[in-house]
Amino acid sequence: MPVQLVEGNNAVIIGAMYAGCDCFFGYPITPASEILHAASRYFPLVGRKFVQAESEEAAINMVYGAASAGHRVLAASSGPGMSLKQEGITYLAGAELPCVIVDINRAGPGLGNIGPEQSDYNQVVKGGGHGCYQNIVLAPNSVQEMCDLTRKAFDLAFKYRNPAVILADGVLGHMVEPLTYPEDAIEHYIDTSWAVAGNKQTMGNLITSIFLNFDELERHNLKLQKKYATVRKNEVAYEGYRLEDARIVLVSYGISSRISKSAVDAARKEGIPAGMFRPISLYPFPEQEIRSLADRGCRFISVEMSNGMLADDVRMASGCKDVALVFRLGGNLIQMSDILKKIREVS
Amino acid sequence: MQNLFAPGHRACAGCAMPTTVKLILDAAGPNTVVASPTGCLEVVSTPYPESAWMVPWVHSLFENASAVASGIEVALKRFGKTDINILVIGGDGSTLDIGMGCISGMFDRGHNVKYICYDNEAYMNTGVQRSSSTPYGTSTSTTPSGKASFGNPRPKKDMPAIAVAHKVPYVATASVAYPVDLRNKVKKAIATPGPAYLQVNAPCITGWNFEAGNTVELSRLSVETCLWPLYEYINGELASVKKIRSKKPVEEYLKVQGRYRHLFKSPDGAELIRKIQAIADANVKKFGLVD
Repeated sequence: MPVQLVEGNNAVIIGAMYAGCDCFFGYPITPASEILHAASRYFPLVGRKFVQAESEEAAINMVYGAASAGHRVLAASSGPGMSLKQEGITYLAGAELPCVIVDINRAGPGLGNIGPEQSDYNQVVKGGGHGCYQNIVLAPNSVQEMCDLTRKAFDLAFKYRNPAVILADGVLGHMVEPLTYPEDAIEHYIDTSWAVAGNKQTMGNLITSIFLNFDELERHNLKLQKKYATVRKNEVAYEGYRLEDARIVLVSYGISSRISKSAVDAARKEGIPAGMFRPISLYPFPEQEIRSLADRGCRFISVEMSNGMLADDVRMASGCKDVALVFRLGGNLIQMSDILKKIREVS
Repeated sequence: MQNLFAPGHRACAGCAMPTTVKLILDAAGPNTVVASPTGCLEVVSTPYPESAWMVPWVHSLFENASAVASGIEVALKRFGKTDINILVIGGDGSTLDIGMGCISGMFDRGHNVKYICYDNEAYMNTGVQRSSSTPYGTSTSTTPSGKASFGNPRPKKDMPAIAVAHKVPYVATASVAYPVDLRNKVKKAIATPGPAYLQVNAPCITGWNFEAGNTVELSRLSVETCLWPLYEYINGELASVKKIRSKKPVEEYLKVQGRYRHLFKSPDGAELIRKIQAIADANVKKFGLVD
């Protein structure tokens, strides 16, 4: 398979094209704009649709429209734009529409800046809009995964008829690494018998999230909860690094996990039995795997570019009250030396 | 001239926007509050804790500066302060695209806010993506010229006409190349009670890709080719027009900009230039630009 030096944001579009993505709806925002540029350059060449919307809200609702018609749809944005998209995302989840949304996380709150952060964690992983819904959330940590997980996100979105979000950050978006292209494109057949395709077969279909009858809405909600339980059972993905005999476990995802890995190696050189656990699926969160590490007596350090949002989930999953935290905010990357210092403290 | 927009800001050398803002603030005077949406202006003028603003300045997100300014106006009224000029200064992406709903609301409610759009005809701050103010045939990051595209396939949105349709009492266009005219129009906007809309041609050296130092010359060419007519609408009537003595062909304006380079290379270019010339000719007819 061809290998090429590719920027993370471009790898998203490559993954999407191999996943049979039909339509891209976007709006400019740094540091996600290169996804928009790549879509505008490549989609029209192969007969796929690129539309630049007039706003983030318009873009996400175009996603709603195209997804309703049973198409494979992609949108991309960053923090402030993701906030604007939340209304659309809760409607997509409520109406059970499959789509993929890429969040190239930048530093907040408010306008913040265009440096990397992982502070959209709660908004994306817990469901940032109203109602009891969940996004499926995947967190790449390399250019290769920007491509591969975007492709996987389409599979999951259609398997569960649910929005799937790629949670990346400004570094991953702009990082250039070798990318091995996917071996083949997916089969384009997807079951869209539920969609409104403008034909006789789908005339009776209804795409909606309004259920005025209280019991009916409750039934709809319980059905969604059952779906989320299946997702939690089947779709957990993670990477373990030097965990076999580890006593201290760094929990880290995305770009932070690359730095954590180096910290693990450095700690091992000092004779400290450190390892790293990287959730690849943030929803479903690998609760049982973390729990079993806790049962083994491991101590946890959450390494994240947010104020303990990941640490909260590690605490809940592990049952450990004292999950340590190494974090940076404002667009700063975590220094390996800071992680190492914390490992020494905890050991 | 009062300098209410301090030097030392981080705009590109050759950017028209700081000059535009300086002229606006000179006309408005120190008794002014400015609300700005996100965009080049905000980014280059306020790298915290520094600021180029010598008047009170409020920043908000991309779509809502008109709503923020409406709030400022209501609050100042509540405290009896009716002698303060409230301006919005924003780019074309925030004005013609994402902020359209909030502007319409502000116009409709009749707030005493003067909305000034510095129009550089694309999203320059995020990397030159097309906006609905991008002219026909322009190559941008999201309407790249090439095999599948000749550049932006849509005409420029007529925002002043939309403002006129809202019964905004004072609507005008201006250019950084005509500073006296720009200053007078700001003063007129402020003197007219109620909302006002002013759209200023502001060339962007990065996105338009022209020879450094030609900013003012280029903006003048946009007027002299009749692609950027200068006019005023007062109470819905065309009240004044800047007459063009010797109208220039649009090629003179297009050929000096990188964003139109493809028009002079591709075989379809001549036809596209004819279409752009037709846009200029339609302006001549509509506004009576040539005697």
